[in-house]
Amino acid sequence: MNLYQPYLMRVTEVIDETPDVRTLRLEFQDPKVAEEFTFSAGQFGEYSVFGEGESTFCVASPPTRKGFIECSFKMTGRVTRALRRLDVGDTMGFRGPYGNKFPLDTVMKGKNIVFIAGGIALAPVRCVIENVLDLRDQFRDVTIITGARSVADLVYKYKLEEWEKRDDVKLVACVDPGGETPDWKGEIGFVPNVVKKAAPSPVDSYAVICGPPVMIKYTLPVLSELGFPDDHIYTTLENRMQCGLGKCGRCNIGDKYVCKDGPVFTLTQIKNLPPEF
Amino acid sequence: MTIKMVSHADLAALVAELVAANTQVIAPVQAKENPAATDYKQIQKFEDATLGLLPRRSIKEFLFPQTEVFLRYKQHKGDVTLEEIPLAPPKQVIIGAKPCDVASTDILDKVMNWDYRDELWFAHREATTIVSLLCPGLDNNCFCTSVGAGPDSTSGSDAMLIPVDGGYLAQIVTEKGKALFGARAKDVTDSKLIAKVEELRQEARKKVEQNLPVVPAEMPQWLADNFANAYWDTLALRCHGCGACTFVCPTCHCFEIADERENVEGGVRRRNWDACQTGKFTVHTSGHNPRNTQKERFRQRVMHKFSIYPQRFGEVLCTGCGRCARVCPGGMSIQEAVCQLMEIAGAEPQGNGQ
Repeated sequence: MNLYQPYLMRVTEVIDETPDVRTLRLEFQDPKVAEEFTFSAGQFGEYSVFGEGESTFCVASPPTRKGFIECSFKMTGRVTRALRRLDVGDTMGFRGPYGNKFPLDTVMKGKNIVFIAGGIALAPVRCVIENVLDLRDQFRDVTIITGARSVADLVYKYKLEEWEKRDDVKLVACVDPGGETPDWKGEIGFVPNVVKKAAPSPVDSYAVICGPPVMIKYTLPVLSELGFPDDHIYTTLENRMQCGLGKCGRCNIGDKYVCKDGPVFTLTQIKNLPPEF
Repeated sequence: MTIKMVSHADLAALVAELVAANTQVIAPVQAKENPAATDYKQIQKFEDATLGLLPRRSIKEFLFPQTEVFLRYKQHKGDVTLEEIPLAPPKQVIIGAKPCDVASTDILDKVMNWDYRDELWFAHREATTIVSLLCPGLDNNCFCTSVGAGPDSTSGSDAMLIPVDGGYLAQIVTEKGKALFGARAKDVTDSKLIAKVEELRQEARKKVEQNLPVVPAEMPQWLADNFANAYWDTLALRCHGCGACTFVCPTCHCFEIADERENVEGGVRRRNWDACQTGKFTVHTSGHNPRNTQKERFRQRVMHKFSIYPQRFGEVLCTGCGRCARVCPGGMSIQEAVCQLMEIAGAEPQGNGQ
């Protein structure tokens, strides 16, 4: 098998998250690969529809749940439109896993974890959340703060309900002002303000934050004010990629390759990057 | 060092034998529409070759084709079957390659073997024997000696030809080179002739060395530290963003992966050359573009070659062939840029800095 040859995947479930975000559950067609495939939270892959091309997404499901992977994507371009045409039983391609991982088994182990996500960026964070929840006794307090423009734009509503019910998880869901519905019981406000109000303790804590650049930009100072040191804040960078393997010359920021040195970076590392992301 | 004497007749016989054995022989050939230009092309007989000039494009396309199919798929309703394309490129011998072109192969091996082995590249590498030709140094766009290569560099060569009266001396570099010339020609033991070779090499080096001083070892770090230097603001004003420099470059290796339907039932997946100088190379789905203007894109090209690659792989990603400057419609020159950057960095470049 050459480096760029994908595994064949069968679509086994299609979930509409929002009007333009869909989740596909995929199973490896080759039972041997299905058996042997492993990955770590934070890693990504190249998903493809044959005849249309490849797209880069994280694996949204956690490595602790075997036998399938899930990806969530927003319909925007040629490949995501083609992905949206797929139905249960259809075949597509996946190659990976690529990139580094969140250090759940080392520095984050035994700590409080604060998850902050905006919009579809709950997908990469969800992988880490479920990984942590599946190994719940290895971590202390778990706080999840997630927001979207409107109630309709919240992804993984069924997961939010599930996390809401758990008494070992503190969940804060919010929507932008004006995005609420009459029966909305969560917070109304922008993620940075909601984080400020929720004020998670920085003591023995690590934060995982993913979202649109504007959300990240205004939430990081809030985390710093709360007392989170830069090397306790993890995020992922999502540069355009083709190969995912450090060859195609596209995703680098200075001498760091997002596909190999990332996609998971601490804020300390990000502050040392040239401002080109 | 093994050196053999090879006459024109020997080379003609060698090419004839290779062609008869179904080995592709590639050599610089005079361009039909422009007698002053050559291109690397497949030849059937040695007389078809025109050695000596710098071909318009590098040998890159024979090791890393401009487009290469690596997967074929067939679709039936929702089902897909994949057919892997066997990695069995035809055996080829490139004769008369420029040392600057050849030096790129060892450099590119590093990224192509970075944790993951790019079998497409290495299949071509293994199927290829390269016989370079000592370069006399061409014009003031050449700066191979500044970047660790040289007109006499055997880096990447299996053998190197050195023109002398009555034919060529062939310096054997690798086992592949030995296999090509081994039984064919006599070893040269004449010390005068060997001294002559050394003289030719020195002459060629001296000629190129005037153009640009050696890029200092501190340059990669200096560039990384000077990402925000005001110099970049004006550097790329003349750049059209056409990407021609990247296509003629022996070391530029950026690519994309794209699908191409052949019929209703299926198609192929290809790897195609891509260029970091084009506007949409890095654009995100959201529309955000980390390298949004030509300033950032040209800086990336200089950085990749003179800072990023040296820092990651210990080699400058440039062999000083000067093609980028020769083809640039805006008259940009990476050599000039590096020369000016070296001045800003406080080095004291000598030479004409063209």
